[in-house]
Formats: sequence, C-alpha cells, structure tokens
Amino acid sequence: MDLSGNLTDETYRHPLPVRLWHWLTAATVLGLLFTGICILNVHPRLYWGEVGNEGTAAVVGLDPAGPAVAGHAAPAVLNIGHAKFDVTGITGVPFDYGNDGTYFMIFNAPESWHFGGLRAWHFALAWVLVTAAAAYAVYLLLSRRLGRMWLPTSAQLAPAAIRRDFWQHLTLRRADDRQYNLLQKLAYLAVLGLLLPLMVLTGLTMSNAVTLRFPELFTLFGGRESARTLHALFAALMILFILVHVFQSFVAGIVNQLGAMLTGYYRLHKETP
Amino acid sequence: MSTLWTRRSVLTAVGAGAAAALGIELVRNEDWSRAFVDGAERLTLRTQRLILAKRPLAREFSQAEVSAHFPVNGSRVAPGADYQRMVESGFRDWRLRVHGLVRQPLALSLQDLKRLAMRSQITMHACDEGWNAIGQWGGVPLGLLLTMAGVVASAKYVVFHCLDKKDSNGEFYYESLDLFDAYHPQTILAYEMNGKPLPVGHGAPLRLRVETQIGYKNAKYVDRVEVVDRLTGFGKGRGGWWEDSDNALWYAGQ
Repeated sequence: MDLSGNLTDETYRHPLPVRLWHWLTAATVLGLLFTGICILNVHPRLYWGEVGNEGTAAVVGLDPAGPAVAGHAAPAVLNIGHAKFDVTGITGVPFDYGNDGTYFMIFNAPESWHFGGLRAWHFALAWVLVTAAAAYAVYLLLSRRLGRMWLPTSAQLAPAAIRRDFWQHLTLRRADDRQYNLLQKLAYLAVLGLLLPLMVLTGLTMSNAVTLRFPELFTLFGGRESARTLHALFAALMILFILVHVFQSFVAGIVNQLGAMLTGYYRLHKETP
Repeated sequence: MSTLWTRRSVLTAVGAGAAAALGIELVRNEDWSRAFVDGAERLTLRTQRLILAKRPLAREFSQAEVSAHFPVNGSRVAPGADYQRMVESGFRDWRLRVHGLVRQPLALSLQDLKRLAMRSQITMHACDEGWNAIGQWGGVPLGLLLTMAGVVASAKYVVFHCLDKKDSNGEFYYESLDLFDAYHPQTILAYEMNGKPLPVGHGAPLRLRVETQIGYKNAKYVDRVEVVDRLTGFGKGRGGWWEDSDNALWYAGQ
C-alpha cells in the first residue's frame, strides 16, 4: 500500500492519548473554523482599534457597491486598506436580514442553521478545544514527550542541520523520520504554544464578562475590534497550518502517517545514504 | 500488503468509525446538540460568575470617545398607532410597570423615573454580529426599581416585555436576566442617550443597558418588567426572542 519508499522497522510512536487528542482537536478546530467563518460573514468587516461599525473605516471589508439589480449578482467591493477590488459575483450573494441590513456572504449559511445557534456551537467547541489542549499540555509534560519529541535537539540546531532541514523542505524530500524534524517541531510548538493561546485570548477579548474582570486584554490586543481582527488573522494562520500539515503528510507518505495517527504504529524509512 | 487486515487495524477502524458516527450524531441529533450547547452555556455561566464574584464594573469612556455614528439595529420602531401617539405625546401617559414576584408592584411615568437617582455611563455596546459603538446612557439602575418593588425570596429572573416586534406577525420582543446581572450597578433602564431623550430607533421610551452581556440582551422599547421564578411560560420558554427563534444563547456574557 505504501507508495513512498522502503519501510523497515515499526515503532510505537503515538500512544492513545496523543491519537485521541489529535482527532478530537482536528474535529473541534474544523468546527470552530466553520462556525467562525459563518459568524464573520454576518459582518464581514474588520477594524483596528477599539471601535468599529458600519460608520467607521474598515481595514478589510466586504461592502455593497450599489443597489442590487434583479437577476444579477449585487455589486460588491472588497476593501483592503485604501485599495478597492470589484468582487461582484465572486464573494457570494447578498443576504437580506430585513431590519438588520444586507451583508455579503462568502458562504451563505442557510437561515435554518440560526446565527445564534452557530455562535452557541462556536463557544461550546471552544470549551472542548481549551479543555483538550490543557489536558494535552499536562500530558506532554508529565510523559516527558515534550522534551523527547517536541523540543529540538542540539544536533538539529547546528547551522548545517538547519540548512539541510530547510533544503529538504524546499525540495519536498522526506527528512530523517526517526524523530520529528526541526521545522515540524517548531511548527507544532508554535501552533500549540503560541497560536492556540492567542486564538483563545483574542476570542475572550470579545467577551463582555471576561473583559469586565480582565480589562488588560484590551490593552494587550489594542482594543476590542483589533482583537476581533487578530482573531480572524490567527484563524487564517490556523488554516494555513492545517493545509501545510496535510500536505506534509502526503509528502512523508500519507498511508504510513495516517496509519500511525490511527493505530499508533509508525514504520520507519530506511536511511538513505 | 498483508498487514492491512491485522487485529490492530480492524480494531482501529471500528473505534474510529464509532467515534466519527458519534460526532456526526452530535451535530445531527437535535436533542444531543441542545444538551451539548446548553451544557457549555451552563459551564460558561458558572465560570464567568466565578470571575465576576467581586462585581467589577465595565469600562467607562470619556465624552470624547462617544461614537459619532451609533448603528440602529434590530427593530427601528415599535408597531402600531398607539406607539406613534405615545411618541408624539412624549410618552406622557405611558407607565413602566414592575410586577410579578414583588411585594409592591410599581407603575411609573417617565417623569417619575427621572426623579429617581440617575446613573449616567459611557459604555461600549457590542453586537453579536461583531461591530460595536460607544454611547452615553442615562437612566435608573434596575436594582433600585427592584428594591423599591421588593423582590420576594423565590424570585430568580427579571423578564423585560417590549413594545416592538422583530417581524410584524410575530411575538413581541422580550428578554430576561437573572438577578445577578439585574442587580449589577451598571444595569440600568436608560431613558437618555448621548445627553438627549432616548431616540425611537434606540428604543424609546426605555431601553435596558446590561454591560455584562452582549448586544441583543439590551432590550429596547421596554414596557414592563416582570419578576419571575422561571422562564417557562414566555414565548418558547428559552428566555428571550432571539433565544426562542434563533437558538441564541440566553446567557450572553461570552
């Protein structure tokens, strides 16, 4: 089945807690991204600073550009800073909320899904994400997996090794897979140690109750609307990570990679001389 | 490859399949979804009550920070000729009623309300859609009205009955808070916005300001305040118009 090279020894790489966490988090993050995009679409304008609404300038925004003509896509313009792009018919169709105005939806969630319900799901999934990530962080520390598998070794940090690692990635060549490679380790550390906490914190900065107790969050992210904009930016980085992560699994041999994350057993590749 | 159908891979396939089926059912099955989302809402409520135990106040802004443009959202006006007449007469004959599980029901005119202790605050209104705006609000602390009316011990919630309808054939808008948020010092019934009488678009004669929660909890066109021990019996029993019709969270401190 494996098309990607010569396989030799099998190693038990991913114990059950790792596998459970991986798939639970994968499902949760996909759910959060999906509901998050639905929420963003209801007001697809991002602002910098404390305040942002239909009357203030957006950093990035999808706006109507004139009245809709029956039978045609309503004119829409994408503003990025001062630049304007005509995106009529590209970014989706307008959705009339009646009293609440018309918005351009990249993806029109059917009304029966309920905007309020999507938000409720977003926060429920956030609880799952945070609880699982906290439990996993404890597991990484207690099992010493963090030191054994996630932290770069001194050999990996040698300048020649760093250059080789970059070169292998650029040329899409499989790295020595007896351990996670340097860029892989750094990516995992950055996502779990930095991106995830930042996503949670920017999300919490949009909570009235949380910021009542911790108004410092506004200072940290430069205001409520800045936090919302950063939340969207970090979500985009998360999507980028997922795309690269899946792509790399294909480069490294998807059957072996997927099998290892399901069964725990990973088949090592013969070292190429 | 011969290793494809080992005991290990079959067990894994069964386990992964069962987990995926459970996940799909959680989204698909309405009872499961509701239990999951409601459970998370209770968890949020309890956690946030813990961190708000000392009742911190929401940020208040300076006059210079008041937004030049404050979007009108939701209903723009309450329906009916009666409401138009009330607007034209400056709500002279209108009375705010406070009733339900209270010892002394109240019926107060706008003038009566203005004679009570006024609280003025410049706060940020954050809509669940993602936008926000800063405005000045002047009004009566809800806690003061509740104290005047004498809330009985069995009371748990305060229901706000409104004059507006989100759709013309539908139910009147309503919202509710529990007593914790109702007694928060910044929870007020505002008759003034940016130094002027509350405009029709923003909910004249009276709107709720609850700074611990998000936009839609801040009911406009408040006509009647009812103190109750349960939320069943109003609309679909989920505590508010959006909660009933859009699965919106009743506790919206998020």
